[in-house]
Amino acid sequence: MAIHVKNLNYYYGDFPALKNITFSVATGNFFIIIGPNGSGKTTLLKVVAGILKSQTDQLEILNRPVDHYSRKALARAIAFVPQMIPVDFPFSVTEIVLMGRSPYLGMLGLEQEKDLEIAKQALIFTGVDHLAHRKLDQLSGGEQQRVFVAKAICQEPEIILLDEPTASLDLAHQVRLMDLMEKLKNERGITVVMVSHDVNLAAMYGDRLLLLNKGEIVRLGDPKEVLTFQTLEQVYGCTLLVDESPLGKTPRVTPVPRKYMNIDRQEE
Amino acid sequence: MTAFLFIVIGAPSDARIVTDQLGRQVTVSDKPRRVVSLAPNITEIIYALGQENLLKGVTLYSDFPPAAVSLPKVGSYVQLNLEKIVALKPDLCIAIKDGNPRVVARRLESLNIPVYAVDPKNLETVMQTVLEIGNLLNANQRADFLVQRMRSRVLKVKSLVAKAAYRPRVFFQIGICPIVSVGTDTFIHELIELAGGKNLAQGPLAYPRFSREQVLVLSPEILIITSMARAAVFEKVKAEWSRWPNMPAIRDRRIFLEDSNFFDRPTPRLVDGLELLVKLIHPELFDETQ
Amino acid sequence: MKPKTPLLLKRLSVISLSLLLVLLIAMFLGISMGSTTSGIKVVFQSLFKAKESDPMLDTIIWQIRFPRVLLATLVGAALSLGGLVFQALLRNPLAEPYILGISGGSAIGAIIGILIGFSKFPGVSLTAFAGSIAILLLILVMSSGQTILKKDALLLSGVMVNAFCAAVIMFLVSMTQDSRLHNIIFWLMGDLSMVDIGHVGILAAILCPCFILIFWFSNSMNLLLMGKEMAQTMGVNIKTVTVILLVATSFMVSATVSYCGLVGFVGLVVPHLLRLVFGPDHRVLVPACVLGGGAYLVFCDILARVLPEQGEMPAGVITAMIGAPLFIFLLKKTRR
Repeated sequence: MAIHVKNLNYYYGDFPALKNITFSVATGNFFIIIGPNGSGKTTLLKVVAGILKSQTDQLEILNRPVDHYSRKALARAIAFVPQMIPVDFPFSVTEIVLMGRSPYLGMLGLEQEKDLEIAKQALIFTGVDHLAHRKLDQLSGGEQQRVFVAKAICQEPEIILLDEPTASLDLAHQVRLMDLMEKLKNERGITVVMVSHDVNLAAMYGDRLLLLNKGEIVRLGDPKEVLTFQTLEQVYGCTLLVDESPLGKTPRVTPVPRKYMNIDRQEE
Repeated sequence: MTAFLFIVIGAPSDARIVTDQLGRQVTVSDKPRRVVSLAPNITEIIYALGQENLLKGVTLYSDFPPAAVSLPKVGSYVQLNLEKIVALKPDLCIAIKDGNPRVVARRLESLNIPVYAVDPKNLETVMQTVLEIGNLLNANQRADFLVQRMRSRVLKVKSLVAKAAYRPRVFFQIGICPIVSVGTDTFIHELIELAGGKNLAQGPLAYPRFSREQVLVLSPEILIITSMARAAVFEKVKAEWSRWPNMPAIRDRRIFLEDSNFFDRPTPRLVDGLELLVKLIHPELFDETQ
Repeated sequence: MKPKTPLLLKRLSVISLSLLLVLLIAMFLGISMGSTTSGIKVVFQSLFKAKESDPMLDTIIWQIRFPRVLLATLVGAALSLGGLVFQALLRNPLAEPYILGISGGSAIGAIIGILIGFSKFPGVSLTAFAGSIAILLLILVMSSGQTILKKDALLLSGVMVNAFCAAVIMFLVSMTQDSRLHNIIFWLMGDLSMVDIGHVGILAAILCPCFILIFWFSNSMNLLLMGKEMAQTMGVNIKTVTVILLVATSFMVSATVSYCGLVGFVGLVVPHLLRLVFGPDHRVLVPACVLGGGAYLVFCDILARVLPEQGEMPAGVITAMIGAPLFIFLLKKTRR
């Protein structure tokens, strides 16, 4: 098991953001957490990443309780790709990607030949090596995202966590990023855990989906099991059409505009 | 280091140990040749003693006598320039307690430049200071003479004032904005009292502040204003006070502007200031005599 | 085992050596110039103990100017480094070393010391130091309960406390009589004069360990710029690093300010200048601030001593008058 969570609770003050969450993520899985706004998806991801500390644990990373990891050791096991790129981050692409090596280096982070090589490979893998000497703020949103993925790859993690990575990307870059994650999973055996608001992308790529609502698990399973129109309509509170994508055997979810409401919802 | 000492002070056998006004033991040469004065009043005293040829450096605002202005400057008496002092190669510095930073005196002494400190607080100690500086600079005769003259003039004023029937209320304004006067622990207070007046601002605070109201309540009969300001400013100040014609000093037109240097510099000119004050405070005593 | 990559170390060595050279030139100029004319030849003569050297000039150069130049180096280094660290910790380019109430607290402490009648060292320095630490603790307590605006809570508390202290200072100053007022004003403007070589030694002994400690955390500062959460995922122990840096830097700045008053602007402008020239990597910027900041203040102090006809300007005036246009010029140049 890459990640094992049992009876996890998290409170913001008095507010229960996560209630009794239990699930596991198998090694090498592409695991996607979906749910409406405020369902606790990002909170859950941050708890797994070690950014937030839950009040009741049983969180195991790579079959060890998370408490047994030092910060640096955890950084070597898990890499986190944020949704928002930090503001006013003046470093160049190479410098940022090299920062991914710091869990393996001493206090001063003095890089060696090997680290430079790993960074170079990560840049090639994510397709941003031609931008190596540019500053971050000179890049497009998609390119910036990939730089941070490259940095995460440099951490040589077993698990990569991504927080709504496609939220601000255009169509081309959305697919590109998801393909990249799949490539990481297939070529390097990295477990990918992602929070996504895009149900269809989740359906097309996810091995297993976790549907959250109001801090609780609604469904956990493969896309076909989770993405049924009864479940989704209940969770999202709107009219949906669920059919099969023409690209493969994955579900396709379409929200229904008002003007189409009188047509039958489910076509066989 | 010893070589340096030799060059600066001269042959050690020509030195003597004196005690300055702060009780410090200071080793000075018998014949100081290069003296730096660290305050304007000390400059004045040295000139009064006729020893200005020994004077190699003075502070800013050493403006009396006018000849002093052309001497090299070593900064102001509150912000002395150590480098400039040392560059003049003095064998004696004369300092004043009230104002000169102690740390400068210490640095000078660590560089083997003797520093003699004075602390003139009233007429008596000013005269004492004149005598001591005279002693330092081998001008004892002249010093005695000066001090005798000062004493006799003071006595004359005292005897004159003894005849006065009444002590007018005097408000001595040294600060324009805010209004500042002088307390008991100042030269001016001593001079006012000697001159037969009553210092309205007397009290423990040396430079108390007053609001205009407070001054009006005190109802001064004589208002003396000194500052480094020019006459134009005085006219403005006078006009300000004139808005209260009920104040005796305004009603009787007894508001005067005087040069502050006669009153706040601890030099022999304080006696000049005293004589000035008597004329202002008791003009009636001068109608009869000369 | 392959030798360590030249990438960072090479840059670091090149930059450090060039700045060290600049610093040495500055120090040399600093001891050859002053309110009395000396000239470079004289300094050489004095350095090599030539027979023609004048003992009076020797005194001026080594007993008066040299301690002052050393002090300017230390103060410039400490304040620049302080500005750099606070800019990283608070993620705010307007941060400067006095921002966490250090200026207000130390000024109040110093004024109290001066009013009591202490001499500059150790009396006033100790009261100033005590004041700054007290205010710092106050700010830490005030901002510890904040969860909203976590990043800016510390900053805001600092700004408010400084403003309050400024009012208290003005009140205390308005109540003072003449000669003591002078001392207070000099202190508030930053006073590098009247330096004792022994004191400089003490200050160096206090500051150098701080420099080294901060350098040790320079990579952490790089990571901190990503934001607290991200830095955590990179293996940085946020709490520990923040506390250590905060304490070490505040201590360093407080010690500096306690001795020589509030020299202004250095801590704000030097980190930005160096960042424009050398880039944002703190592993390079930390030594650069120490050497470059020191050189900068030595240069400014030379001008402060030499330019005015009488007396001297506070060094803080020069640092602003030179620093601001220099920064704008560099900013325009690199905007391409």
